[in-house]
Amino acid sequence: MKARKVKGLDPAAPLADNAERIVRVRLDELGSFMPRAADPSEVEALHDMRIAAKRLRYILEITGPCFGAYAGTAVKMTKDLQDLLGEIHDCDVQIPEITEVLERLVTEDAVAIATAAGDVSDLPASAVRRAPHRRDYAGLVALLVHLRARRGLLFARFLETWREYERKGYRARLEFAVSERSEPRPPAPAPAPDATADGAGPAADGAGPAEAEEAAPAEGAAPAEDAAPDSEPDAVPEDPGAVPEEADAAA
Amino acid sequence: MAKQKDIEIHPWEPYGAAAARVVRVRTEELFAHEAGVLDTSDIERVHDMRVATRRLRAVLEIFAPCFPHKPFKEALGDVKALADALGERRDPDVHIDAMNAFAQGVLATQRRGVETVVAGLRARQAAGNEALAEALAHARENGLRERLLGLAEAAEAEYAR
Repeated sequence: MKARKVKGLDPAAPLADNAERIVRVRLDELGSFMPRAADPSEVEALHDMRIAAKRLRYILEITGPCFGAYAGTAVKMTKDLQDLLGEIHDCDVQIPEITEVLERLVTEDAVAIATAAGDVSDLPASAVRRAPHRRDYAGLVALLVHLRARRGLLFARFLETWREYERKGYRARLEFAVSERSEPRPPAPAPAPDATADGAGPAADGAGPAEAEEAAPAEGAAPAEDAAPDSEPDAVPEDPGAVPEEADAAA
Repeated sequence: MAKQKDIEIHPWEPYGAAAARVVRVRTEELFAHEAGVLDTSDIERVHDMRVATRRLRAVLEIFAPCFPHKPFKEALGDVKALADALGERRDPDVHIDAMNAFAQGVLATQRRGVETVVAGLRARQAAGNEALAEALAHARENGLRERLLGLAEAAEAEYAR
């Protein structure tokens, strides 16, 4: 799944302001898969939601210390959600693989017992006793039964977890946390002596140069979208803040 | 699992300055896991390196706007290729473990089928190891570590003051 683009990132602006933008986009992305992922047959939506959870988790793990305390709580909650979706994904990968192995063995055995029977008008049931893979079937079927049953349980847990997150206000609390800053803004450096010569001294409230004031939002406030640079730097990739997609959720 | 090093960050420091520091640490962590990674008797090594690759890839993408575009894209592509190769090796490792655990819980008459699945996974594991050996050689030949550290250096020169 391609990550949504994050607009207005500025390498020279404070880390927290950029990270806040990324978290907000990734949080939106995660929520966008519901209610579609609440349908157990929506394998792709569940997989994409796992990737979205992973993207959100990584940005929070790295930049969480910049924000309010709930960002730390959200890291664990997001990881738990990602792990659960990863377990479901593992089942969704393994079920067709095992089904394919079973189908291949059945096909090979059908050819083998027909060939062994030679030129006959019909095939007795006893021919199956000599099927080369006859001892494999019980285990493969048991595996499929287990995977399907486990998938069902994990999916029920996922729904329960998501509802619990909604009840606890996961999204709203995380949105608020990323609007907070864990440290007060440091005081602006003293102006150089010649900077006041033309009367362009520091602002009366000591907030620092006007340019810096525009680049960072006031503490406790989300940056306004229109405060972002009009154009992105050349280096902005298609999906900043995206993280790897891979099949191994258990790792 | 290898623990990642804590990296001190500050909300008001420039995004680009944090990028330089974080990418440098995660790059060194990745290459510290290279030794012995092709040893299939110790599956934790490949796991640790895969986790380190994921962490590096994640920070590269989070801090993407802080790096020079072309060398960044090339380095990211190489990190992705290495991550894919590690995944090709790691996925069978994980599934073999899961199958062995499952086999412990079923009837003796049901184990044979599980062993058949494990045999197929062992073949995938061997192929994955060959692909990983190639990817590691490619990363060394192309100076991936040095290029990543160069990206961090460029960001530091531009934004850390």
